Amino acid sequence: MGKTVHVLSQSQLIDAIKSNDAKVLKELYTRNYPKVEALVLKNSGSIAHAKDIYQEAFITVWTHVKQNKFEPQNDTALQGYLYRISKNKWTDVLRSKSFKDVKSLDKDNLRAVKDDETYNEPENKKLKITMAAFENLGQPCKQLLKTFYFEKKSLKEISEELNIEENTARNKKYRCMQKLRAVVLASK
Amino acid sequence: MKNSDNISQELLETIERYLNGTLSTQELDDFNRLLDIDDDFKAQVEDVRAMLFGIEAQALKEQLNEFHKDIPKTKTVAHTQKQKVRFLSYSRIAAAAAIIIAIGSIWFFSTPQNEKLYADYFKPDPGLPTTMSSTDNFEFYEAMVKYKHGDYDIAISKWNALYESKPDNDTLNYFLGVAHLANRKEAEAIPFLERTVQSKKDFVLINDAYYYLGLAYLQQGNIELAKTNLSQSDNDIAKEILSKLTD
Repeated sequence: MGKTVHVLSQSQLIDAIKSNDAKVLKELYTRNYPKVEALVLKNSGSIAHAKDIYQEAFITVWTHVKQNKFEPQNDTALQGYLYRISKNKWTDVLRSKSFKDVKSLDKDNLRAVKDDETYNEPENKKLKITMAAFENLGQPCKQLLKTFYFEKKSLKEISEELNIEENTARNKKYRCMQKLRAVVLASK
Repeated sequence: MKNSDNISQELLETIERYLNGTLSTQELDDFNRLLDIDDDFKAQVEDVRAMLFGIEAQALKEQLNEFHKDIPKTKTVAHTQKQKVRFLSYSRIAAAAAIIIAIGSIWFFSTPQNEKLYADYFKPDPGLPTTMSSTDNFEFYEAMVKYKHGDYDIAISKWNALYESKPDNDTLNYFLGVAHLANRKEAEAIPFLERTVQSKKDFVLINDAYYYLGLAYLQQGNIELAKTNLSQSDNDIAKEILSKLTD
């Protein structure tokens, strides 16, 4: 997919996101960040805050797209959605007690609308556990699973890259999943 | 939920295929039927789904940090561009202001400074001794007397009368020049002094001629020509002014 984000229709964009198209994801990410950074900086946040909140929002948007929770309404719907979620997340941070204790906030600027962001707390917790487990998985397993599940490469491609039999790659993948599963179950 | 249950490789792969929609119609029918009747199976499917999703989410998260490394560039470019534009216009204004101030101060200060330098260094040529009175040069020396008395206008008019008939006379040119200079008429002094220094003949007062010519240009604010002429002069005082001008 050699197209850039701004020439993709929203449905093409959605499809690209669903398949984790690295180029599209990257462009979507980099193009929309400055606005969010400006927002956070304008509202008593730092660049580090902006990065954190934006990445969280980005993953939320990506999640919603994957779960078909997001239906584009117009040509820049997704980009707007990303901004709104970032804004809401930042508002939540500003409202949170821990943040209030440190800084006073500019309430006028932050009368943000609470989004229809569907939060499923238990599911969210489960997700966080899996993410943490995967984060700390050994590098070979991590790489293999990432290539297969995130980059959507076939076992054939992976086996060629690693210079192993396809079946070996398949078994490896299974063992890695077992490992990860064990960690996830242990964390519950 | 029987989370501890092991999932066989076959089952895991079947669930994966179900999740990414690559089961055949027949397989899908069987799968759905099993989902309906077996809650444990359903839980296992959800488990795998959640795990795969977690892997992707974490992989994405880590990817985002990679993406982010490219942002500072694009961002700062975008930012600094904006700021640059603003900064540029500030700096342009500043530069413009600086230039205006510089030109202004050159114009405003340099003239007085040059004038000051000129005033510091300009002393009318003492003139030639007039004791000996050779008749053929009577008019010339008569003017010289006036010159020495500071009656520059009279001296000039007398020398001018002589100049009519001897326009190439170095001495005459020179003294007309210095007289005009002493009379604070540099513009009129310059042509005479120029003619003096451009004369091919060896002129005894050539160093003084260059010196006064330089001073005349200095007074006019023409630093370059002032320097050029002063540098031609061997007079110590000319060198002194020159060094002040070059500083």
